[in-house]
Formats: sequence, C-alpha cells, structure tokens
Amino acid sequence: MIHPLLSNKLQKTQETMRMAAEFILRPISRKYDKAEHEPPVEMEQLNQAAAAQKEAGVGDDSVKSMDLKGKNVWAVISLEQMCWGDVGLFLARPGTGLGNAAIMAVGNPEQKSQWGKRWASMAITEAAAGSDSKNIATTAVLDGDEWVINGEKIYVTDGDRSDCVVVWATLNKAMGKTAIRSFLVEKGTPGFSVPRLEKKLGIRASDTATLMFDNCRIPRANLLGGKEEIETDQDAAKKSFGGAMQTFDNTRPMVAGMAIGLGQAALDMTRELLSLEGYEDAYGQSPGHQTAIQCELEMLEAELEAARLLVYKSAWMMDNKMPNSKEASMGKAKAGRIGNRISLKCVEICSMAGFSEDHLLEKFSRDSKILDIFEGTQQIQQLIVARQVLGKSSKDLK
Amino acid sequence: MQDYKTENSFDLTLTEDQQMTWDMLKKFSESELRPAAREAESNGSPSVDLLKKLQALELVSLIIPEAYGGMGLEQDAVSHALSLEALAYGDLSLAMATSLPILAAKTIAEHGNEAQKKQYLEPYGSGSMFHVGLAINNTTAMGSPFESSVACSQEGDAVILSGSKTGVAFAEDASIFIVSATNAEGESALYCVDKDTGGLSVEKKEFMGIKGIPLFAITLDACKVQASDKLGGKDAKINYQSFIDSSRIGMSALGLGVCQAVLDYVVPYTNERVAFDEPISNRQSVAFLVADMAIEIEALRLMVYKAAALKDLGADFHKQASLTHRFAAQHCMKIGTDGVQLLGGHGFTHEHPVELWYRNLRAIGIFEAGAGV
Repeated sequence: MIHPLLSNKLQKTQETMRMAAEFILRPISRKYDKAEHEPPVEMEQLNQAAAAQKEAGVGDDSVKSMDLKGKNVWAVISLEQMCWGDVGLFLARPGTGLGNAAIMAVGNPEQKSQWGKRWASMAITEAAAGSDSKNIATTAVLDGDEWVINGEKIYVTDGDRSDCVVVWATLNKAMGKTAIRSFLVEKGTPGFSVPRLEKKLGIRASDTATLMFDNCRIPRANLLGGKEEIETDQDAAKKSFGGAMQTFDNTRPMVAGMAIGLGQAALDMTRELLSLEGYEDAYGQSPGHQTAIQCELEMLEAELEAARLLVYKSAWMMDNKMPNSKEASMGKAKAGRIGNRISLKCVEICSMAGFSEDHLLEKFSRDSKILDIFEGTQQIQQLIVARQVLGKSSKDLK
Repeated sequence: MQDYKTENSFDLTLTEDQQMTWDMLKKFSESELRPAAREAESNGSPSVDLLKKLQALELVSLIIPEAYGGMGLEQDAVSHALSLEALAYGDLSLAMATSLPILAAKTIAEHGNEAQKKQYLEPYGSGSMFHVGLAINNTTAMGSPFESSVACSQEGDAVILSGSKTGVAFAEDASIFIVSATNAEGESALYCVDKDTGGLSVEKKEFMGIKGIPLFAITLDACKVQASDKLGGKDAKINYQSFIDSSRIGMSALGLGVCQAVLDYVVPYTNERVAFDEPISNRQSVAFLVADMAIEIEALRLMVYKAAALKDLGADFHKQASLTHRFAAQHCMKIGTDGVQLLGGHGFTHEHPVELWYRNLRAIGIFEAGAGV
C-alpha cells in the first residue's frame, strides 16, 4: 500500500527524540560550538541514561516490536530529530562512529562480535585522495603475523575520541582499487598517533582529526573481512571494492537524515523569530496573496519535505532488502543541498538576528555545509545517480 | 509533530489492483495517447476515434454511483494519482480529456444533491463526456486561488453571478457549467449554470500549451440563477479550499507523468547523440542535468503520494497539497526547460516532443481543476 506516512509508533519515537534534542542538546549547542575540541561531557550522560533505559528494557521497545523490519526508517527518523537539536553534538556522541557501520558491513562474524560494540571511527580521506578514495596511498604490508601500516589520514570524525579506527589502506598501490582493504587499528597501538585536530567552519562539537601511522603494527586478524589475496580477475576485483563502497549505501540515508533535521530546525527557528514580529504562514496562496517571506518559506519547506521523503524511501528500501544505491544518492544529493540552502536562506530572512550569535541560525548555516560534503559530496552523488540513470560505467562518465 | 494518526507503517508498494491499472494505463498511454498528441494539437481537439477509446476506458463511469448508471467503485486518491500520472505520460492534453470529465462527475457525485446527481450524472451513461463544463480557473492573476473571480450575490430566491472564468475545456460540448463563485463574505460555492442562461457568453481561447483540447473563457454578465442551483442545494456549504487542494494534487500528478516522459526521452537521446567524438551524456554538465531531473521527479512522485495518502486517511491535507503544488510548479518547469536544453536546437523544433512538453509543463502550478484525486 502506498503510504508514505509514519505510524503512530514511529511518531512517538519522533516525539521522544525531539524532546531529548530540545532539552539535552539545544542547551549546550552554543557552548560546544565555542569550545571546539572540548569533549562534550553531557553527551556521556545522555549515553548513560540511554544505556540505563535499555537495561531496564524501556527505550528499545519500539524497535523490537517492529521485528527490526523497519529499523532503518526508525534510525533515520531518530537521528533526524537528534540533528534537529544539534548535528555537531550528534556526531560527537560517544559510542558509535562510521567505523562501526563498516565493521558491521564488511567484518566477519568474529570481528563483528569483537569490535561491534567499541567506538570505531573511519579513516579514508588523505591529503591527495578525497572523493577518489581508490587513490589512497596509505599502505599495509604483511610481515609475519602482522600488518605494517604506513600513511597519514585526514578529516577523521571522532578520530581523537574513538576507541579504535577503521583504516583504508592499499596492499599494492600499483593494483588500484582491487588492492584496497580496511583494517582495524586500536588506540594506543605503537606507531599510531593523532598529531592534529582541525579547526572548522561548523560541527565544532565533533572532533576531526589527522591520524599518523608510522610503521604501525597490528595483528593479522585485524584485516576486516579477512581477504588477503588480491583478485586479478577484473569482475571479482570490481565487486570487492564495490563491497566496501556499499557501506555508503547504508550510511548515506543516515547522513541525509541529519541534513533534514538541521533544515527543519532552521525553518522552525525562523518561524519562531518571525512570529514575534507577527508572521503567519499562508500555504497554497497565489504570489499576489503572499509576502516574499511566506512565499520563500513555503518553497523551502516543500523542498525539505521532498528531500525527507526521498531519504525515508532509501531507508525503507534498506529495510526491505532492496538495492538502494541510486536512491541513497538521490536522497543525499537532495537533502545535502537543501539543508544547506535552507539554513543559509533562513539567516538571510531573519536578517541581523539570523547573522547574530544570539541565535543558532548562523550556526545551523555553518554546520549544514559539511552535510553536502562528507559521505560523498553533492557532485559525487550526482555522478552516482547519473551513471545509474544513464546506464554508464565510471569509465564513460568520469 | 504530525497531524495525522495511522497504525500503518511507511510503505511504497502498489497494491495488486493499482499495479494492474498502472500497467494497463501506461500501455494505453504509450500506444494510443503519445502518437496522437501532435495531431490533437494541430486540430485543437482529440479525434472522435480517440475520444471513443478514452471513453472505453470507463474511467468516468467507474466513479459514478450505481444509482446513476455508473459502477460506483470508490477510488482512493492514491489510485487516482497513479492513473493520472500514467495517462499524462502519453500526453497532457489527452490525459486531461479524461481527467476533466472524471473531476466533473466526481464533483457532482460528492457535492450534488439528489436531483442534481440524477440530472447531471446519468448522461455520462449514455455516452456523453463533456456535457458538464468546469469553470474554475480565475481570470485574475493577483486573486486568491481559494476565491473565485466570479462574484455571487443573493437576490431573494435568485443568485446573481458576475465575472469571468477561463481555461474551460470543451465548452462547446457542454450544456451546463459548474462555476465557482465567491460572495461578499468570502464564502465560495459551486453553481450549476445552464449554458443558455442570459448574460453567459463563451469565447474560444488559445493558450501556449494544452492545445490538444479546446479551451474557452466564459463571461457571466449578471447571470441570474436560482439559489437551488448551488451544487448540493441552496443551503449547501462546500469546502472550496479542499476542492482546490484535491485538484492541485491531481494537476501535480499529471505534471509528474509529463516529467517522467521527458526523462525517458532525454536518456536515450543524450546517450546516442555524439559530439566531440563521444555521447554527450559522457559529460558531467549533461549527465548532472539528467541526474537532477531523476532526483526531482522521484521527489515529486513521493510528494504526490503523500498528499493523496493524507487525503485518503481523512487527515488535513491542505499543507501537503500546497507544498506538493509549489514543488510541482517549480520543478516541472525546470524539467521541461532542461528537456529542451538537452536536445539543443533539435529540442526547439517539432521534430521532437520536448518543446510540446515544455509548453504543457508551464500549465502545472497555474491550471487549477484540470484533474482531481
């Protein structure tokens, strides 16, 4: 049945998450925007509270009763609400990082049980390899029963605070993407250091680290997925890298959901500020019966709602085990650009109040930029969608 | 945070019935409507043969209650939207040749009183498609869509209608018009106005698009009708905003079908068209336009579904219908213009349908009440 609507149960989840976002994240939003690199201790308390709830069998009910069939839609809706509160703080919540998604996607059962519960960040990007992750230069060489990792990774979210990190490295640079593997490196391993934290435009509550691997030796079993041989067969090779990239089909709807939450926050706050000056919505009216602001806000809300539905669809497809690579990129492309456009436009609409640090609108507009960049830039998403719609390979459509 | 309640989960699966109707109409649309689009445009009307085929689909009698000679199958808004998308995939004008009588019949079935239903619904059974003309589109640009450009005032048992309406399809075939009118208090109603009423005049009009069906303006110069000619009877009150909202979902669904046609046309074209020794779709500037088209079309589809689903749920759908309509107005035209752009000079000529779609897509967001859900 075509029913792009949320069940009462999910609406309840939404309300609960919104409350947490409003009463736990919002009050400390500005504090950690200012205190970049300071771990937000309040988030630890939030986690403990959630853990205690789980222990008592409270919080997880809604997920269990959905027999996990709707767990991705549930996850998107939950994090959308958390990010309505604060994207930076959401990213800084201790416990789960992008690395965890990678462990669950490509790890073998032993690896999943060993590290699945640890806080794992994800190190892919290098100074000379961003979106073209197949060009990474960090190397992994097998020496006896250990891998020796050498290289430098940048822009690692949670890179400083996480317990361990999933590192992408090549077994043989000359062999291109076929030879790329991911490795789990524990914090404190000799040769692994965090020399630098970035200062950023937004999401300042979240740490973004540079990681150094200088003859860093890790156990042989830390190769995620365990595949040591390099395929020479083209097809098998393609499949293996594709497998790693598939992590993104699962995580893109989540990052897109963050942009939706942020966009909604900006719209809500704008209306709140404008209503102090007598603003009211005028949905559906002709331009002659709307002020420029009513017209603008309605269009922005339409765009946001459209993006939201695309994102929900991509998560719903995951829940139903449908391949969602195209839809995940559609959602990410739309949500990324709209989240950014809305937040910037809201600053403009609210004028000096929007620009001022007295309110959070200016912060939203800084935070939103990264959501159109990480987990695949706008242009990468368009490329993925275009290749699928046009039936092209990466060789034809570069 | 939501203003609706439902036990059902998020879902996008078509029911078996919907899938069957979709497949049937899509096929009809491709094999019968698309090839007939240009001819209908140049004649200003579908051929008699095609009108018969449209009628044979029995989409109109489907929704007319059995008591008035129809099949009385109540169709949900989502299924309506799906049918509209499938038809418009072939051609917007020809889709509207079907959606307009459906909307007229549906409006009478939903809002008419016993006598009106008997009088106006029964002729559909004996082969008429266009005896009821819908006069909803305003002639004013600045007015509210939720108020009519025809004013009405009570004079004893009579009502005086003054003003004009445009974009009235098949007015020559009509014997009555359903005219929206607004009184001094801002309340709107629908009136059944006999074509022969004194003061009513009909004038043929040409528009940049929707040329495959004849469109007219009607002027009401102090037309005197009876208070009982109000649809539903003299004391009836209809929710005019909700009527417009439903129509807007319908028009958005039609726009969606046309946009999908554009996408399905530019994909093979840009893949085959060679410039600088390779298909033009090998270049990002071309490929990204196509990608964005695909993204916005899918988004529009979900917006239409959501608005229709809310209506089916009996929830307040004004906001979602408005957002969908705005989204459609914006993106349908963008897709229409990009469709021509991607074909370059070829797109500008009648050799390809993209210029026709371009002109037709300009109607989305403007034309009210050309289809309903």
